[in-house]
Amino acid sequence: MIMRAPAEKLNPREIGTLLRGELATLGGWIEQCSMRRFALHAGVIILGTGFYGAAMGWWRDPQQALFTAVKFPLIILLTTAGNALLNAMLAPLLGLNIPFRQSFSAILMSFTVAAAILGAFSPVMAFMVWNAPPMSPAAVSGATYSFIKLANVAVIAFAGTTGNVRLFQTLARLGGSKAIAFRVLVAWLAGNLFLGSQLSWILRPFIGSPGLPVEFFRATALHGNFYENVFQTLLQIFND
Amino acid sequence: MNEPNPVPPQVPPQIPPVMASGSLRPLGDDPAERVPIPNIISAIDAILRHPRRVMFQLRQPGAGKLIAMMLLVSIVCSLIYGVVVGTFSGGTQLWAAPAKIAVGLMISALICLPSLYIFTCLSGSQARLVEVFGLLAGLLMLMTILLIGFAPVAWIFSQSTESLAWMGTLHLVFWFIATIFGLRFLEAGFSHSNARSHAGFHTWVVIFLLVAVQMTTALRPILGTANTFLPTEKQFFVSHWVDCLKAPAAAAKPGSPN
Repeated sequence: MIMRAPAEKLNPREIGTLLRGELATLGGWIEQCSMRRFALHAGVIILGTGFYGAAMGWWRDPQQALFTAVKFPLIILLTTAGNALLNAMLAPLLGLNIPFRQSFSAILMSFTVAAAILGAFSPVMAFMVWNAPPMSPAAVSGATYSFIKLANVAVIAFAGTTGNVRLFQTLARLGGSKAIAFRVLVAWLAGNLFLGSQLSWILRPFIGSPGLPVEFFRATALHGNFYENVFQTLLQIFND
Repeated sequence: MNEPNPVPPQVPPQIPPVMASGSLRPLGDDPAERVPIPNIISAIDAILRHPRRVMFQLRQPGAGKLIAMMLLVSIVCSLIYGVVVGTFSGGTQLWAAPAKIAVGLMISALICLPSLYIFTCLSGSQARLVEVFGLLAGLLMLMTILLIGFAPVAWIFSQSTESLAWMGTLHLVFWFIATIFGLRFLEAGFSHSNARSHAGFHTWVVIFLLVAVQMTTALRPILGTANTFLPTEKQFFVSHWVDCLKAPAAAAKPGSPN
């Protein structure tokens, strides 16, 4: 008679372990790399960033809320997938000898932490948007717009920083050295920011200007890139 | 049937460790470094995770097979990255760019191999030509597999920008980062060959970088398009880059609105 192990179930309580940064448990998760846990983390990323995206886009239009709820998780998942191979190669070259699955799992975990925080803040953001006047050219130049913009920056920065602190702690435990963990984190961050910024540029708008139509992609999505635009903006500033 | 396996487990031959100068740990002192590298997957894994294993195996009899594997990986990876480079312009560049990148890389390495061997000997190194060649093949392999890691990012940008200057700069940055890691491997191997000084090696690095970037100009166009497969006039890479930066409108992606 063949004895079967009971099927593992998705356990949302694991998110608490992740947020608390229980390093011994997290180290075990990274070494085991189970598909069930990958699915849980991907689910948290889709829901957390999806809800936050919906709250962001809602101010512009309910349809924009739906679009942003789809696009925000897409950026996170595409960045993780697009840089997975590079990040797995950089880790051993910078002194952290972990296999592909473990580097992928560690990065996914850090994004899961950030997504859980964003998801938790999405009701607050939705409440702020609900209290704001309808988006119009006048509203964009007012204090409410600036406040919501700053609140978004603060929440996203807090979520990103916390995710990376957890990632740093995990890497330091895996590599046994803070110096190695720092090197790997900086390399991974640089790559993820570089690709993430461009993906955000392609998938714009997330809130959208009141003077422009609500759409999933701008017609110019694949014309130019984020860094060219920053460079041209800087040139304009210095030429004026 | 629970008979004991009559074939004894294969134990790697006990080769004495290779002593290195200074305080460096001798190659082969870790038994894992003595395990032969039987196939391409092991070679890729070894150069990323256990570069000392590659360095040790390059000093053993039969290193030629390892060198051939590393060169094969370099060619395949540079062809794949070349296809990504070619997607910027499309058309004939889809096959021309991979061919030029793979050939250019191999020719650059061949051009620089004699000078690397001379500088190695002048530095007092005991490395044989085959070992130096093997280290250079290791540099190429590490560089090109890292370029494969950059390929998804390069492809995203290829599809979303029309600026030839921007894409050229991006590919150069990726190539430069990959080359730094490759050169780190080469220098680590060089350090284990009893060299008295690294000055010669550093001089060679400058030569290698200059040859490689000039090769991109000699084989132009790699990124953009032209009427001929190879350039009809000679140009130094600096003046070529300045020309590209000065003519952004003319140097745009074919079929772009600009």
